[in-house]
Amino acid sequence: MSLWRQLTYGLRGSMRRKARDREVADEVEQYFEEAAAAWRARGLTAEEAKRAARLESGSITTVREQVRSYGWENAVAAFFGDLRFAGRQLLKHPAFAVTAATTLALGIGANIAIFAVVESVLLAPLPYRDAGSISVLNTHWTDNGHTSRRVTGPDGADIRNQVRSFAAVSLYNGGNLGVELRDHSVYTVVTWADANFARVFSLEPVAGRLFNDSEANRAALVSEEFARDNFGNAQAALGQTLHVENEALEITGVLPRWFDFPARTQVWEAAPLNPESKSRTAFNYKAVARLRSGVTPEAAQAELNGISRQLETAYPTENRSKRLMVQPLQQALTGDARPTLLLLWATAGLILLIACVNVTHLQLVRSIEQRREIAIRKALGSSRWQVMRPVILEGLLVSLIGGTAGVLLASAAVRVLVAMAPGDLPRAGEIHLNGWVLGFTLGLSVLTALVAAALPALRAAKVDPADALKRDASRGMSRHGATSLREGLVIAEITATFVLATGAGLLLHTMANLISRSMGYETHRMLVVDADAPAHSLSDGLRTVRQFDQIFQNLAALPGVEHVAGIMGLPTGSYGSNGYYQTRGGLPVDPNHQASANFSVASSGYFQTMGIAVERGVDFGSKDTFESPFVAVISESLARQSFGDIDPIGKQIQCGLDSDKWMTVIGIVGDVRQDSPAEPPGPTLYMPMTQHPFYANQLHIVLRTNVKPLALMNAAQQTILEVNPLIALRFTTMDVMMDESMATERFRAVLISSFAGVGLLLAMLGVYGTMAYSVAQKKFEIGIRMALGAERGAILRSVVRQAARLACYGIVAGLMLSLALTRLVTSMLVGVRPMDPISLTGAASLILLTALCSAFAPGWKATHVDPMATLRAE
Amino acid sequence: MEQPNTDVIQGTLDMLILQTVSLEPMHGFGIARRVEQISRGVFKVNPGSLLTALQRLERAGWLDSDWYQTENSRRAKFYRLTRTGKKQLEMERADWARRASAIARLLNAEG
Repeated sequence: MSLWRQLTYGLRGSMRRKARDREVADEVEQYFEEAAAAWRARGLTAEEAKRAARLESGSITTVREQVRSYGWENAVAAFFGDLRFAGRQLLKHPAFAVTAATTLALGIGANIAIFAVVESVLLAPLPYRDAGSISVLNTHWTDNGHTSRRVTGPDGADIRNQVRSFAAVSLYNGGNLGVELRDHSVYTVVTWADANFARVFSLEPVAGRLFNDSEANRAALVSEEFARDNFGNAQAALGQTLHVENEALEITGVLPRWFDFPARTQVWEAAPLNPESKSRTAFNYKAVARLRSGVTPEAAQAELNGISRQLETAYPTENRSKRLMVQPLQQALTGDARPTLLLLWATAGLILLIACVNVTHLQLVRSIEQRREIAIRKALGSSRWQVMRPVILEGLLVSLIGGTAGVLLASAAVRVLVAMAPGDLPRAGEIHLNGWVLGFTLGLSVLTALVAAALPALRAAKVDPADALKRDASRGMSRHGATSLREGLVIAEITATFVLATGAGLLLHTMANLISRSMGYETHRMLVVDADAPAHSLSDGLRTVRQFDQIFQNLAALPGVEHVAGIMGLPTGSYGSNGYYQTRGGLPVDPNHQASANFSVASSGYFQTMGIAVERGVDFGSKDTFESPFVAVISESLARQSFGDIDPIGKQIQCGLDSDKWMTVIGIVGDVRQDSPAEPPGPTLYMPMTQHPFYANQLHIVLRTNVKPLALMNAAQQTILEVNPLIALRFTTMDVMMDESMATERFRAVLISSFAGVGLLLAMLGVYGTMAYSVAQKKFEIGIRMALGAERGAILRSVVRQAARLACYGIVAGLMLSLALTRLVTSMLVGVRPMDPISLTGAASLILLTALCSAFAPGWKATHVDPMATLRAE
Repeated sequence: MEQPNTDVIQGTLDMLILQTVSLEPMHGFGIARRVEQISRGVFKVNPGSLLTALQRLERAGWLDSDWYQTENSRRAKFYRLTRTGKKQLEMERADWARRASAIARLLNAEG
């Protein structure tokens, strides 16, 4: 009731302000009249009675003001009055307003963009029901500290059967594969998952039903997108047959569009709950599990530890030091992206800090101009709070404008970010600006306002009227404290910018190293075709090898093609294998540290096509067939690693890829960097396609061209499908693959550099502002110096010297800060030491140059001070 | 906007106003004079505080007001007690009695 009256009376009061004021005035007047009448009744004259009443009760005006100002609506009105005043002040100083708002828009915009990414990728829960209880299982070795994201089949099955903490455990694996449909093939990600998979994710199909365990290797689920692209819609896909590897699968259900696990999977083939692989050393599966409700990950881990120990006792060799670990799915998915994103976030924070310092500085400059006004207001009785309020409101207004502009800027920036993000950035599709992000922006804007306005507001509150009215900086009497504060801010700004520029320098240097690195093979003018031919048996495999041979010949005949070859295990490619190998006639082997290498299966002519030098011996040839003695080619580092000074040619080598036959080494080729330029060149074991038909149906066809590679795409596709229309194809170029392999490094380098650029711009504004202000302050002094005969050069030098001094302090502080911080980015650097002299000197000289440039304009202005005009201008 | 009545003077002022108005509807000066007379000049009421307090009490819903002609044939704002105001007054009286007797006991014990 009373709250309602407060509200309605207040609203009525503020709507009918005039009527209410008159009412209050009437009431007060009537009071005084009655009071006077009472005095008259005691015998005073009318005049005396009035005076007596006033003496007793104070002035009519004071009372009226006191009564009138009662009520919440008046406090609101006062607030809006101050806000209007702040707005008018900003309009009157457009240069200040625009600079400050732009500065903040940049700072806040960068933060929103990065926060949007951080929020969507790291913070937002995964889009699965009760996603917090979905976990992945890893294998960890306590003796060497190594952790694998995979588990073996039997270990996984034991966990499913024995661990009570999990409501469901599912094993899965998969990769890029060709999927045959009735009249064409599609190249996509296929996942083999057991029937528990859908239970772990609480999946419900949008059409059809889930598969059950009895349908293993006979049923599949497809994504809504896959169904639409290949069958028209979800309903039409049901009951259709597709072939994956050697199995015919019936589509039993269609999974909803939002379900994307493992990333980009389009087909989920039913795998048996009882894993096919019986080896406890073959890490063929990944595992996901759903925690039983009420069970904490810690409790599950404790139970897993017990079972791991039991398994170690039961299988002392295979499970030695092996521990199965539970990890929340979200952490497992986003763990790799975390350092990069946090680095970016920290950088964006630094930018905002610089922006704040700039705005503080601008406001400070303005508040020094306003000293007289504030002093007068204080002399007239304004309280500290009343003096501070407009300053803070002005800051708030500026940062809200900046924040709004920042949101607009960020919504564009986010789109660029997502487009530029490395392909393996998890959850990239989910990134968008949402309520959280907008809330973050609002909070950030207000915080920024408070931080930026705090110092100027406090200084305003401290203004001593008498002191301020006496002093006047434009007369050459500047207070030392004010100057050193402003200079301190500029130095802080330069320090932060230096740190940013150093970081950018280090990452750019890394990038330059990666780009200029020799991969060990040719990357230009290389068309790459991912090809997946159906092969179900040995005879299928051998036929496929022959078909590919035919395809290579036909492709080589195309105009514009120089060389053609096929390879399983192309550097930066999606197929590949690696593992241990043994040699006969090589160096003695340490049984605890078996030698390992990348395994590649190549056609003859591969080395020539890729430009990999055959150092010794020969390439594979037509005489190396499935029936002839097995042969192999090794890379230089493999030769070094296992043969040392012994000549490897003619020695024997064996690996567990698909056959345990011993192979004779017939050649040694140059090393390549297998996964990305960031990696050192490593040992590789090459085997001929003809002798490993099971690995010869999924491969990359590489074409060295003398025209633009992608121009040959259509011709190549036609040529390949002519030989076998059921081969699933995907085209790319070696350059693109290289690019993708460096996407993370590039992402970091580009972003940090743009941040450093923004920082530099802001620092420039800061230095310019300080110098311009100090020149304006010293006009009188400069006028006198010039009147006394100072040369223009000397004046200019004094201004520029001041800027250089600030920059040097900032650089020294920045250098120290960088020394402390660069350790954090060490893991992101390739071929660059954290104390890279090039980056440091580059950053330092860039900043010095920027400072000098931005000081030059005010300095030049100073030399054009007209002594007569200044001295007269009083 | 409600201010806690911890301040003794203010709390007293509210109670005195409510008590005074409970007898008959009255305008601001009438209240001031009545308080002064009955307290035999111990309480002097400042018009600023009084009229502000009246606004507050009205907004709290304890008083209603109307404009009437006075005997001096001038328009004046007359305040009267509402039903909730009456309850409030009873509460404040009881509260005051409790405090006053407690203070009296303390003072007597000390003496």
